[in-house]
Amino acid sequence: MSRSPPKQPPPPPESFLPVPPATFHILLALADGELHGYAIMQDVAQRSDGAVRLGPGTLYGALKRLLEARLVEEAGERADEGDERRRYYRLTNLGVAVARAEVHRLDAIVRAARRKKLIGVKPA
Amino acid sequence: MSAERIYRLLLHAYPAEFRAEFGREMELVFRDLCRENDVRTFGFWARVCWDILRSAPALRAAATRTVEGPMKVAAIVTVLVGLFGIQGEVREWVAASRQPVGGTYVLSLALGIAATLLLLAAATAILLGTRKAARLALIVSLVCFVVARVLFPWMGIFVQLVGLGLPVALLIALYWPRKASTLGAA
Repeated sequence: MSRSPPKQPPPPPESFLPVPPATFHILLALADGELHGYAIMQDVAQRSDGAVRLGPGTLYGALKRLLEARLVEEAGERADEGDERRRYYRLTNLGVAVARAEVHRLDAIVRAARRKKLIGVKPA
Repeated sequence: MSAERIYRLLLHAYPAEFRAEFGREMELVFRDLCRENDVRTFGFWARVCWDILRSAPALRAAATRTVEGPMKVAAIVTVLVGLFGIQGEVREWVAASRQPVGGTYVLSLALGIAATLLLLAAATAILLGTRKAARLALIVSLVCFVVARVLFPWMGIFVQLVGLGLPVALLIALYWPRKASTLGAA
């Protein structure tokens, strides 16, 4: 009788915090659905009004770490019309949980800053 | 030289395994960037180089960290043995140059030096995480050593043990299936 090895429970999302900024932008881009590398770069640049521009090395370095940590998984290769085949990526359940946890962490910081009137008030 | 060919060369800054996994995708993204930017400007290439400078060293360091402990020790021992071997061979070469010796002996000595240098290169490649280059260097080192042994059969037993045993042991270790790497935080 063969028994499959016991599946290790995923690490708690909080263990990945704080998420580095570039990595968090990638998680945010993938929250909309499956994207390939260049589409992730475009999404990040658009959302940040060009303030954050990921280069291919930064993008795929972060994607490699996300894949190894199982926050992101490959969603196969496919080609858009008139284009070469590209590898698509999507968030895993753990990736979604980590993105949410990071949003809560940042939200708590913003609320604290607001209480201390560092933001949300007109400068004198 | 086209921008894509230059970028393909620049990609060698990344570890071989990373290039094998993401190199093609990175080239596709770079092609998209070339389509949307003027590749003849200094700013474009400054951004490309900055991206590589920012990401490649960390990935190289990570590749070195994923070299398993025993493998790292074996590579360091190989470097030390290689340096010791080179020193001995150079001394032998100097001694040989002072007296008339046969061409076969000189050839076997040159092959021995080549085998040791390749062994050193293989150990360095293991420490840098480029296993493919290490395998190639070890195989060529073995071939050089075997030919040297055939040309000069009076080789000492210790030299034979090191020259044959070390590359064979490292090759077995390199072809042994590895555990998947685990990562803490992304």
